[in-house]
Amino acid sequence: MVWSVEQVEAVAPSPAAITGAQPLATPGRWFDVGADDRVIWGSFQGSGAEPYDTAVDHVGVGYLCTCPSRMLPCKHALALLLMWSRDLVPIGVPAVKVEVWIQRRHARAVQEASAWELGDGAGVNAEAAERSVDDEATTEEEPAPLPPSVGERDTARNERVERMFAGLTELDRWLDDRMRTGLADPALARYATWDDLAARLVDAQVGGLANRIRRLAGLVGASATWHDDVLAELGLLHLLSQAGRRLGSLPGPLADAVATTVGWQVRRADVLGGVPDTDRWVVAGRSDQRENRIEVRRHWLRGTASGRWALVLSFAAYQQSLNTSLEVGTAVHADLHRYPGPALRALVGKRHLDESAAIFPGDPVSGPPSGRPPAQSVADAADEIGGMLVAEPWLDRVPTSVTAAVVRRGDAWFVGDDTGALPILPTAATRGVGDRRNPRAANDPLTMLLALSGGGLVDMTLEWTPHGVIPLAVHLDQRSIDIGPRADISFVGAA
Amino acid sequence: MTVDELWAELVTTSLLGTDRRDPPEAGGLIGDLVADTARADPSTRMLAAVAACTAVRRAGVRPADPIDPLAPPSSDDRAECVPAAVERWHHIITSWPVLEDEWILTLVGRGWRLAAELVPPALHRHRRDPIRRARVLVAAGPLADWLMDHVPDLAQTPSARPLTSIEIDRLGELPELPVSPELASLLTRRGAEVGGVIAVGLEDRTLAEAHRAVLVNVIARCVPEGLPDIAEVLGAVDDRSAGFGLASVLADLALTRYRMLDELAEPPDAES
Repeated sequence: MVWSVEQVEAVAPSPAAITGAQPLATPGRWFDVGADDRVIWGSFQGSGAEPYDTAVDHVGVGYLCTCPSRMLPCKHALALLLMWSRDLVPIGVPAVKVEVWIQRRHARAVQEASAWELGDGAGVNAEAAERSVDDEATTEEEPAPLPPSVGERDTARNERVERMFAGLTELDRWLDDRMRTGLADPALARYATWDDLAARLVDAQVGGLANRIRRLAGLVGASATWHDDVLAELGLLHLLSQAGRRLGSLPGPLADAVATTVGWQVRRADVLGGVPDTDRWVVAGRSDQRENRIEVRRHWLRGTASGRWALVLSFAAYQQSLNTSLEVGTAVHADLHRYPGPALRALVGKRHLDESAAIFPGDPVSGPPSGRPPAQSVADAADEIGGMLVAEPWLDRVPTSVTAAVVRRGDAWFVGDDTGALPILPTAATRGVGDRRNPRAANDPLTMLLALSGGGLVDMTLEWTPHGVIPLAVHLDQRSIDIGPRADISFVGAA
Repeated sequence: MTVDELWAELVTTSLLGTDRRDPPEAGGLIGDLVADTARADPSTRMLAAVAACTAVRRAGVRPADPIDPLAPPSSDDRAECVPAAVERWHHIITSWPVLEDEWILTLVGRGWRLAAELVPPALHRHRRDPIRRARVLVAAGPLADWLMDHVPDLAQTPSARPLTSIEIDRLGELPELPVSPELASLLTRRGAEVGGVIAVGLEDRTLAEAHRAVLVNVIARCVPEGLPDIAEVLGAVDDRSAGFGLASVLADLALTRYRMLDELAEPPDAES
């Protein structure tokens, strides 16, 4: 889909970069320009003797330019995008070097993703994610190492299983100590108490649990009911630890779900090699959340035919880009490949041609088809949430859709109808303690939901968390409005 | 003992620790699960009970009792501005704030209502500026007051000064922008002429980056009918000339203003 000018502005590192790119965004200054459904390319005659060769991966979002600028994307890449957004770039066939670059990006994306997979759909490996997925443009790939033999693989796997079991045993011992000494133990207020354990769990290659431990540290003292919250999470850690040590005796799908949740890595290629779940997927909602030094974006998709939910994750370290290819309120006809077990998490595979969507600049029909999840009552939504949590009680977030209004009891806000009410997750804004830089943020989901509903019933997509629901999108008659929490644009390249 | 009662007991025990207090005896299915644990020491039984209780409480999520709906804002018969205008507002705020006054005055003048999704960001943006805030309040109608009742942080900054009587009288007037005397005549000339004068000036370097602010003001206040011609003429400036960059930027401004006014044409009801 061709980007809008606003999308180009969103990926610019600063407003000044767009200003600098505007004068370059004219076909007269470019030659060998073209675009296809993956990449845009062109050569720009700058002040130097040699032209700058520029290419933009507009699907995976990445940039290549031979100019000396250290800005990413540089003004040449932005100019190319601006021209494309203005329908000034003809359709063409890329030159060999552009084709090689885009294929290399695809291969790299597969490798990167397999390094990022931790399986629980929430935690991410900060160290792995800090490796840029977009800056490989000017670097040469190292030759691939020889694949390990079957014997070496078995040995490595056995060693890993041993480490994992040792880590789970240590976790349970630590949990046991917490129960014995109690949550009033002053040691819990020290970050080292949690961080030391998390580091040992990382060593034991159960990174999913390490991430949960680090998040748990942030709950101590964070609210008046923190003891409840911490105790519940300790219980789930115990559940995962026990289940992880009994993987062999668990039913297959449950064992898969536990393994990926504790941190057993699943290669992206293996996921993509699974049976596809083909449907017309409605992009029902989006939410961004910072976890340590990584921004995590969740796109919640719902199958029009199957009625099943799916979660597509993307990650960005500082100044990297998040996935912008899924727009809330649209529908994509695609193959989704789910992670092992009853997982919500999935990867988007092949996208099928949708005759009503424009693919290339100049197509008569613009934009993807719209879509929305079905409406249901609050009680039915609670049943839907419960059904997903029965399968995986350790999930931190699950989606649902509902037709409800914003209601209030005292200082607490809810989404409700005549069947009941679900509490809205209090944020700094809704607690009336917005920080100085972002006082009661104008983009706060509750504020936006109030404005869009005017207190009346509206269709919306929600994200359930153990502490309340987060409004992600409002579905109006003609369009959907994305109101989910959004990443800080000073942190990510494109949010 | 209900699950909630059991949970309350577990939280109390967890605060003290099982070294000082035995975990509560869980009955029912949770009790059976706890009895299945391999080790029988109190901390292990406690962990098993906490895990089971948490899983049951999460999976058994139930909504609270229904709550009375909020009183809605008073009705506003004006049509809400179209989605394209909403997108344009965001573009203007990011790239061409010089057009914001005209955008909202045109919206109000032609009988549109500010789109609901723009009310929070617009109120937030003008918490300190009493004139622009007053325009937002008019554009948003009853929804603005209703929203501020529920979200007090969207209210005017306490330190903001009140409107003067002169300002109240001039709320609907587009503020003047400084234009140098030698360019002032462009404000009333036809688009092709305005574009031509600027294009020639940029190519022969009598106009340059130093004139950027005043040229922006000219295009932001010139006769709207000429905007397409201005954009076309400036877009045709020789891309090898020094003034090409500024010409492109000004062409974008002209096009943005033209589209902005087009999107805010009279609402269908008003036209009939």
